[in-house]
Amino acid sequence: MLVNERKIPIIKIRDFLIVSIQVDMHDRLALQLQTQILEEIARTHARGVLIDISTLEMVDSFIGRVLSGMASMASIMDAAVVIVGMQPAVAITLVELGLEMPGVETALNMELGMEMLEKRVNT
Amino acid sequence: MNETNITNAKQRIEHIEDILSSVAAGDLDLRIESEYEDDLTGIEEAINLLIDDLTHELKKSLKLKAEMEEKLLKIQEQQKTILQQQEDLMELSSPVSKVWENILILPVIGTLDSQRTQVMMENLLQKIVATGCTTAILDITGVPTVDTQVANHLLKTVTAARLLGAECIVSGISPAIAQTIVHLGINLSNILTKATLQDAMIYALRKNEQLINGKVVLNQAINEETI
Repeated sequence: MLVNERKIPIIKIRDFLIVSIQVDMHDRLALQLQTQILEEIARTHARGVLIDISTLEMVDSFIGRVLSGMASMASIMDAAVVIVGMQPAVAITLVELGLEMPGVETALNMELGMEMLEKRVNT
Repeated sequence: MNETNITNAKQRIEHIEDILSSVAAGDLDLRIESEYEDDLTGIEEAINLLIDDLTHELKKSLKLKAEMEEKLLKIQEQQKTILQQQEDLMELSSPVSKVWENILILPVIGTLDSQRTQVMMENLLQKIVATGCTTAILDITGVPTVDTQVANHLLKTVTAARLLGAECIVSGISPAIAQTIVHLGINLSNILTKATLQDAMIYALRKNEQLINGKVVLNQAINEETI
């Protein structure tokens, strides 16, 4: 049970939280990450969250739902979520699964995502 | 009447048996030889004739088999060529080019089928990631008709591009396609559509200008186009 029980680090830079997912996501880890991020938003009063999934090669419907759920949850806590660096294969899978993540903002890379968040927070 | 005129009957019948078993085993060059002329001669000759016929037929069927095999090989080769050409066509049919800083264009020409749209989608998404362009224009001026599946695929492409963090504009929807899409009940209202490639380009350049502030080149380009 305790094997691979590693937390995904959440880094705070100025008003933003940066999360880089570099391990294979399984269901429990995804839920744990969700709670972790929301708690961190509350604790640090972050205005935005950047989630980098560029190393994720596969996303199933559960993880997709967790990600889009997390975006809605964060937005009612007044923090914008931007998902960054999705792989083409992952995007195709999600679309084929019918998970179009309507409320989620996306960006091609960290830099563009950061710009996007800054613009959002400043307006 | 019953008196038969056969010399060396036993020996000759044994000879016939030997020959027949050899023929059955595959040795077709053997024939029954006999120096006598009597009642058994007719049978011996008949057997010889049968062996001749058999040899002839066997040769014919072998020849046919070889021909068939050759034809099969030819067909297989042709099939390989067809597959190769299909693949080539697939690659040729969806060129994605970067036309400006941040702008990709995918001009689609000819009838779309599901497989082709699939390849197109993959190519476009890969190119978006590879070039880091945030705007992609899908120009379907050259597409005569679409069906439900293809329209759905186009929708999926646009959605997938959005998931990557790029905006996808569809331009050049012909009256026929517009009619089909509405009749099929497909909702394209979530997709940004522009009348022509030019309009799409202007939109993309404007958006670009907002993204990258203070680039005179872009301003000029936009002004020239709108005047």
